[in-house]
Amino acid sequence: MARRYDSRTTIFSPEGRLYQIEYAMEAISHAGTVLGVLAKDGVVLAAEKRVTGKLLDLSGAKEGGYGGSGEKMFLLNSNVIGGVAGITSDANSLVNYARTVAQQHLLQYNEDIPVELLAQRLCDMKQGYTQYGGLRPFGVSLLYAGYDPHYQFQLYHSDPSGNYSGWKATCIGANNGTAQSLLKQEYKDDISVKDAIGLVLRVMSKTMDSTTLGSEKLEFAVLTYDEAAKAPKAKIYKPSEIDALLKSEGLAKKDEDTEMKST
Amino acid sequence: MSIMEYNGGSVIAMVGKDCVAIASDLRLGNQALSISSNFQKIFPVTDRIYLGLPGLATDVTTLRERFRYRVNMYTIKEEREIEPETFAHLVSSTLYEHRFGQYFIEPVIAGLSKTPSGGVKPFIAATDIIGCLNFAKDFVVAGTASSKLFGVAEGLWEPDLEPEDLFETISQSLLNAVDRDAFSGWGAIVHVITKDKVTTRTLKGRMD
Amino acid sequence: METSFALTGKGYVIVAADTTAARSIVKMKVDEDKIKELSSHLLMAYSGEPGDTVQFAEYVERNIRLYQIRNLYPLRPSAAASWVRRSLAESLRSRNSYTVSLLLGGYDLATHTPNLYWIDYLGTSVEVPFAAHGYGSYFALSLLDRYHDPEASLEEGLATLKRCIDEVSKRLVVSPGKYKVKIVDKDGVREVEL
Repeated sequence: MARRYDSRTTIFSPEGRLYQIEYAMEAISHAGTVLGVLAKDGVVLAAEKRVTGKLLDLSGAKEGGYGGSGEKMFLLNSNVIGGVAGITSDANSLVNYARTVAQQHLLQYNEDIPVELLAQRLCDMKQGYTQYGGLRPFGVSLLYAGYDPHYQFQLYHSDPSGNYSGWKATCIGANNGTAQSLLKQEYKDDISVKDAIGLVLRVMSKTMDSTTLGSEKLEFAVLTYDEAAKAPKAKIYKPSEIDALLKSEGLAKKDEDTEMKST
Repeated sequence: MSIMEYNGGSVIAMVGKDCVAIASDLRLGNQALSISSNFQKIFPVTDRIYLGLPGLATDVTTLRERFRYRVNMYTIKEEREIEPETFAHLVSSTLYEHRFGQYFIEPVIAGLSKTPSGGVKPFIAATDIIGCLNFAKDFVVAGTASSKLFGVAEGLWEPDLEPEDLFETISQSLLNAVDRDAFSGWGAIVHVITKDKVTTRTLKGRMD
Repeated sequence: METSFALTGKGYVIVAADTTAARSIVKMKVDEDKIKELSSHLLMAYSGEPGDTVQFAEYVERNIRLYQIRNLYPLRPSAAASWVRRSLAESLRSRNSYTVSLLLGGYDLATHTPNLYWIDYLGTSVEVPFAAHGYGSYFALSLLDRYHDPEASLEEGLATLKRCIDEVSKRLVVSPGKYKVKIVDKDGVREVEL
């Protein structure tokens, strides 16, 4: 019977549910994990890349795009990094929209868009697709790691229904339950960026399917505040930098791991 | 009184050896009355392009915001930074879009463009208020002191100046030209753009 | 004739505007408040074409309020100044433009600094340590050049303002009689009697 209420996103089922949105969220819970931790002097994001195969041509993405964008990490504005989980094509369209909104805010008010306002603007759009006829909702959840002078460092999460919420540490995508309970155990209120990086990598290594971490499966970004430039500094790590980071944290893959080498 | 002289202000750009320099005064006036002695007319566009916007102050701000928006959107969509030549054409076409109902600005562009061999090539250009481009090999001037700037720069500039000598040449050209102009002055700012850094210095002139 | 002054000091901005509403050579009103309180920490003195002034000031006031309602926190002074400037710049190239001069003084709660913006009807906006509009500006600016101190206490700031007002009263033929003076600092806006 539920089928009858599946095809239209705008119609409630007799139990008062919007199936398409629930399906969208289900799709996201199978997507690559994205994890964010808010520290007192910055925000750390990490993401699991799902698509790996040696025939995939990544030479175009080597340099990194605008601000060193990756597959799942995007610089939304100079003060906000977005991490996405879900349907990549939907995500690209949302990222484009977010960047345009941020630039329009800069044009109008001569300031970087406040993080919560950017999350709100995206959620207004996402919510629209749960109500107006005949369209499919965005199959994307986002984490926003940002800085603004109002509330300093912030971490937000938004889902396909257009709900958003602020977090100290959270996770979206596959195994998010495991990751969140790990984060709940280990998170401390006055954690530093340095410790947050370690925490994020440890949790990632436990939740990811593969036994070892490497730049071919991991994306990483940190937002800090540059005292000299008096502006937030967003850094999306390049593959070589991720490997170097993993090595320094003692989580790099070992040489005897031949399984990883062959893929 | 022409609207181009309403707020006052002047900009000059010069080519050196693998470097360029751009400088402006800092005055904002209301005809003969000075309002501010710290009004910026030169803005960074990328790490190695600077844009000077002398003319009507409201349009300085409007165009600055507009170009920042256009360049940011370009960077996002193209996933690379804009080149000086491309940016010059963006400036030109933006001004010509307002051919009837102009922005009262004469932009000056200074930057370093990339060569295929990995080096850099100095680039300067200026346009009139409706965007007619003037690519120069030596120097470009604009603003209320432009006639005086032409004279001094013509006398002082020589080819292949090193960054430090170029700084001295552009500074002396600007300071001496604005001293003869009632609408420009009140200190100056000079940017020297080289391959790996931009040096910015604020100068005191005759503060009267 | 209409005159307004503003100056910054250590953690505050003082904004003063005359209180006369004139039409041609006749004073119609001598207790007009020409300083709007745009938000808890933002003041705007306005002068210019009668009609345009109140109309534009209310337009700004309500848009700033709308932003605050929608986004839970008010615009910072710099952002408000940019928005107001843009409104005037767009109005300038429209069929009927507003002829309004503004002094926007605010206290930025995010950076804990006082900010003052001088804005004219063309949409020229510049951040300044002190500013003035109207005929009074020709007398006041040179006085402020001599006596303004960005680190001055509130009492010293008000004394400097008093100098400006006295000078204008002494030398300007069409000097206004009374001024309204408002202050914005970390505690918000308030009116003071000179």
